[in-house]
Amino acid sequence: MDDLRLLRDLGGELEHEPPATLVRQRERMLNAGSRFRPARRWTGRWAGWWAGRWAGWWAAGLVAVATAAAVAVPVVLVGERHTAAPPAGARVVDVSGALNVLLIGSDTREGAGNEVYGPRAARDKVGKRSDTIVLLHLPADRRRATAVSVPRDSIVRIPRCSGRPARTDLINTAYDQGGSACLGATLEQLTGLTIDHSVEVDFTGFKAMVDALGGVEVRLPTAVNDKASKLVLPAGKSLVNGEQALGFVRLRRYGDGSDIQRVKRQQQLMLAMLKKAQSQAAEPAKLKEFLGAVSRSVRTDLDPQSMYELARSLSKAKVSFRTVPWTRHPDDRNRIQWAQPEARRLFESLK
Amino acid sequence: MITQPATRDADADLVSASWTQPEAFAELFDRYSAMLYRYVSKRLGPEPAEDLVGETFLVAFSRRRSYDLAYTDARPWLFGILTKLISRHHRTEAARYRALLRAPVDGHVESPADRVAAGVTARAARSDLVSALAALPARDRDVLLLIAWGDLTYEEVARALGIPVGTVRSRLNRGRRKVRAALGDSNPMIEEE
Repeated sequence: MDDLRLLRDLGGELEHEPPATLVRQRERMLNAGSRFRPARRWTGRWAGWWAGRWAGWWAAGLVAVATAAAVAVPVVLVGERHTAAPPAGARVVDVSGALNVLLIGSDTREGAGNEVYGPRAARDKVGKRSDTIVLLHLPADRRRATAVSVPRDSIVRIPRCSGRPARTDLINTAYDQGGSACLGATLEQLTGLTIDHSVEVDFTGFKAMVDALGGVEVRLPTAVNDKASKLVLPAGKSLVNGEQALGFVRLRRYGDGSDIQRVKRQQQLMLAMLKKAQSQAAEPAKLKEFLGAVSRSVRTDLDPQSMYELARSLSKAKVSFRTVPWTRHPDDRNRIQWAQPEARRLFESLK
Repeated sequence: MITQPATRDADADLVSASWTQPEAFAELFDRYSAMLYRYVSKRLGPEPAEDLVGETFLVAFSRRRSYDLAYTDARPWLFGILTKLISRHHRTEAARYRALLRAPVDGHVESPADRVAAGVTARAARSDLVSALAALPARDRDVLLLIAWGDLTYEEVARALGIPVGTVRSRLNRGRRKVRAALGDSNPMIEEE
């Protein structure tokens, strides 16, 4: 009797076919790169991963994402293949209690479809900067959420990370050179808050999200025709598609040209996306499309279950938008520094 | 950024593509996750299998930059990672063999007629096999099962475990000798396949 054949027969009897839920492990792998917890800070390898093409993602849609997910996740997950219980041993992130989520929107031009933006030099020399930085604070009761925009022109102290010494520099260079791990570490040191999760969105993903929502409504005090952001819009209200929405949040040469005004426009757009997502809650098909766009374009350490928990609690929350208090930088009028003690007080209030 | 060529890429090409386009790695998952799942399900049962396959790909993904592109087939690499992860579950594996000895394998036998057809001797042999597997040192069992259940060649096992092919042969022979002894068969003619 052949022992190997007997062994193979035994194996055949013990064997189980993979369940449909195995596909979750695929998501887990693809999401792994965005895992960001202070307790398990990325090593150089992970930071290097972020230097790669998936490094940057547009954040403006997250609040809308969360709300839409509240309705759409059960539709997508329960309606399709994920009828089984979560796999044994799968790590479900605890999303109860107070949470701080770092949202990063990046102007990486490395992603597929992103190469049409920016001057040729930028297209050739691959680079990325955090165009949008938002700290989303969710208190334990989830009744209100605070989204604090961090101006990207802020000159701050960046701690030692990913092999570079501590330095004083523009906050978005932390992301540029060290990825979200470095930006997260910088913000933790500056704010004294613990950042629990991070979500990153890039240009293309952001566009897809707005398009999946069927466009969003924005308002401009005067007409704009800007080459850099490729945006042409009349004064007043406009329904913008993904492409235009992107131009809208990137627009700099408008009004006083300040980053602060730009942050305000980003907040306006986030709110518009939130409203649209909420109004579409009754249309599962549209929400499904939106959630599909979201899942393809957002990189986060939140698994679907946690996202759902978070979104459900967030859908009832009143979101207020704040900006880190700032003053002009004494050495460079194009740069700003955080105003103290106001900034400290703001973050103290979030603890 | 061409990501979807018409023909099937070698695994090594996918790994190198994933250095700049991480999503290319997902193709490796699509190719091999089911195979790895079946292998773990044999050794540890279905409960931990899904998570272990996930872990394997997490580790592989994080180490993809150190993959040796000279090897076009990524299976041995993945099986090597999986084997390391399985070794952390040696208690689960031991408990599984004990459970199999208490309640003989019948999960996939459909009807009483099938059971009769499967034969009394085969079932008796199975419990001998299971106790032989349980008694093997882990390193011999890894080699034996990578070949019998993972369908790897000697060279692939050597690569998976990072040991010379000669060591694979000697461990396999030792493992098979013990299995055959447990089966009450000591035919010296089948020393090596």
